[in-house]
Amino acid sequence: MTAFQIEDAQTGAVRTRPARSRNRHPASRRRTLLVFLQVAIVVAFLAVWQWGATGGWISTFLFSSPEQIISVLAQNITTGELWTDMGVTAQEVLIGFAVGAVGGSALGLLLWYSRFVADLSAPFITAIGSIPVLAVAPMMIIWFGTGLVSKVVIVGFSCVIVSLTNAYRGAQRVDPDLLDLMRSFGSSKTQAFTKAIVPGAMSWVVAGLKLNVGFAIIGAVVGEFISSSAGVGHMIVTGSSSFAMNQVLAGVVVVMAMVLAFGLLIDLLERALFRWER
Amino acid sequence: MTMSHAIEVHGVSKRYGDGPLVLDGIDFYARSGEFVSFVGPSGCGKSTLFNIVTGLLAPSSGRVLVNGVETTGSPSRSIGYVLQKDLLMPWRTIMRNVILGLEVHRVGRAEARRRASALFDAYHLTGHEDAYPGQLSGGMRQRAALMRTMVTDPDIILMDEAYKALDYPLKIQLESELMDTVKAAGKTVVFVTHDIEEAVTLSDRVYVLKAHPGQLVQEIEIDLGTDSHAINERRLASAFNDYYETIWRSIGAGGRTEVAA
Ligand SMILES: Nc1ncnc2c1ncn2[C@@H]1O[C@H](COP(=O)(O)OP(=O)(O)O)[C@@H](O)[C@H]1O
Ligand SMILES: [Mg+2]
Repeated sequence: MTAFQIEDAQTGAVRTRPARSRNRHPASRRRTLLVFLQVAIVVAFLAVWQWGATGGWISTFLFSSPEQIISVLAQNITTGELWTDMGVTAQEVLIGFAVGAVGGSALGLLLWYSRFVADLSAPFITAIGSIPVLAVAPMMIIWFGTGLVSKVVIVGFSCVIVSLTNAYRGAQRVDPDLLDLMRSFGSSKTQAFTKAIVPGAMSWVVAGLKLNVGFAIIGAVVGEFISSSAGVGHMIVTGSSSFAMNQVLAGVVVVMAMVLAFGLLIDLLERALFRWER
Repeated sequence: MTMSHAIEVHGVSKRYGDGPLVLDGIDFYARSGEFVSFVGPSGCGKSTLFNIVTGLLAPSSGRVLVNGVETTGSPSRSIGYVLQKDLLMPWRTIMRNVILGLEVHRVGRAEARRRASALFDAYHLTGHEDAYPGQLSGGMRQRAALMRTMVTDPDIILMDEAYKALDYPLKIQLESELMDTVKAAGKTVVFVTHDIEEAVTLSDRVYVLKAHPGQLVQEIEIDLGTDSHAINERRLASAFNDYYETIWRSIGAGGRTEVAA
C-alpha cells in the first residue's frame, strides 16, 4: 500500500507544476524562499544553542557556544593571529591546488593523446586514488619537512586523482564526429587537442576543480594536524589538545568560510569560462 | 590521358570487424560540377559509403580517387562535408566556428575573418557573427555549418542527410540556397538522403542503394527538361513524377534483378 501512496504523491506533485509556473517569476521566488529558509534554519540552530548554553542545559565545556566562538574569533582578529593562520593555510591550499588539481586536470587531458598509456596507467591511478590522505600524510612530513612543502604535497595528493580522472573522462566524451570534422580539415593531433578536446572537456575539468575545493582544504588541515607551527589546522589541533572547544569550533567556522570563499572563486571562473551557455 | 572525374570509387566493400557485409562492390563516379545523390532505405550503408569517400573510414577493399588521385582512407582537402548534426562548437561564436577549418589550415586570424565575412550575407547570417550556436535556430546553425565547409573552398561537397532534421519549408529554403551556391561556384556535390523527392529535385544523377548488403541497384540520369536551378521549377517539372516513381519502385523492389540497371 505504501508504494501505491508514494506513486500517487509523485503524480500529484507533477500535476501541480504547471499551475505553479503561472506565477510571474516562479524560479526566482522559489530561490528566495529557499535562501530565506536556509538562513532561518542556521539562525534558529544558533539561537537554540546559545539559549541552551546560557540556560545551562548545554555544556559549554563539551559544546562551547556561539558567543564564545565569536569572542575567540574576535580575539584572534585583534591579535592578528587569525590572519596569519588563514594566510598560511590559504597559501598551502592555493599552491597545492594549482599543482594537484590544475596539474591533474592537465595530465588527464593529455592522456587523451595515447589510449595505450591511459589504459596502461588506469589501475595505478585507481590504486593511488584509493589511498587515504591521512595514511600517507605523516610520511610526506618525514620526506618534505614540517613547513610549506609537505603541506603543498599533501594538498596536491588530495586533489590530483579526482581532477585527473574527471579531465580524462571529459576528454573521452568529446563527440567523435567533432574529431572527424577536425580530421577532415587535415588537423594535427595537437590542433584537435587544443581546439576540440580541451574546450570540449572543460565542463568536466571544472566539475573536478569544484570537488577538489573541499579536498584541498581538508588536505591542508590534515597536514597541519600532524605537524605545524601555524595555520587553521594548527589552531584547531592546539585548541583540541587543551580541551578548548571554543577554539576548535572557531577553527571549524574558519575552515567553512574558507571553503565557501574558495568555492565562490571557482564559481567565478566557471562563469567566465561558460559565458556562451547563457 | 582522359580527364579524371572529381570522384571515382572502384569496387568498395565494407565490413565492420567480423560483422556482416555492409557495402558490397560499390562503383560510382561524380563528374566535376555534377550533383549526384544516393538514395536508399535506412541502414543500407549510405553513411558508411559517405565516410569512406570523405576518407574518414577505410574500406575493407576497393579504392577512392579524388580528382584522379588515390585518397583511400585519408581525408582530402578537396572534400568538405556537412552532416545532419551541425557539429558547431557551442563555446565558439558563429564567426569562430566558421573559420575553424581556416585556423586548422593556419590562415591568419585577420585573413580568415575577412574571407568568412564575405560569406555571411549570402548565408543570411549577417549580424550573428558574435552569437553563440545555442542562440541560433536549427536552420541558421545548418547554414553556419555549410559556411564552415564552403569557406575552405573545397571542390567537392559531401552531404549526409544534412537537412533531415529541418521542417519542410525551411528544407526547401536551404536546398534553394545550396543550389544557388554550388551551381554558381561550380562545385561537385555528393548528396546522401533517404528522401526521393529531395534527390530528384536537386540531382543531375541518382544512385539507388539497397540494403543487406548495400549494393547499387540503379543509376538514373535526371533530366527535368529545365536548365533552371530553382527548386520550384524543378519540383513542378512534368518529368518529376516519372523519376519519383521509377526510384520508388526501384527501392521497393529491394534489388530484385529486373530493376537493376
Ligand atoms: N561503426 C560501426 N560499427 C559497426 N556497424 C556499423 C557501424 N556503422 C554502421 N554500422 C552498420 O552498418 C549498416 C549501415 O549503416 P549506415 O552506413 O549508417 O546506413 P545508413 O546511413 O544508410 O542508414 C547498419 O547495419 C549499421 O548497423
Ligand atoms: Mg546515415
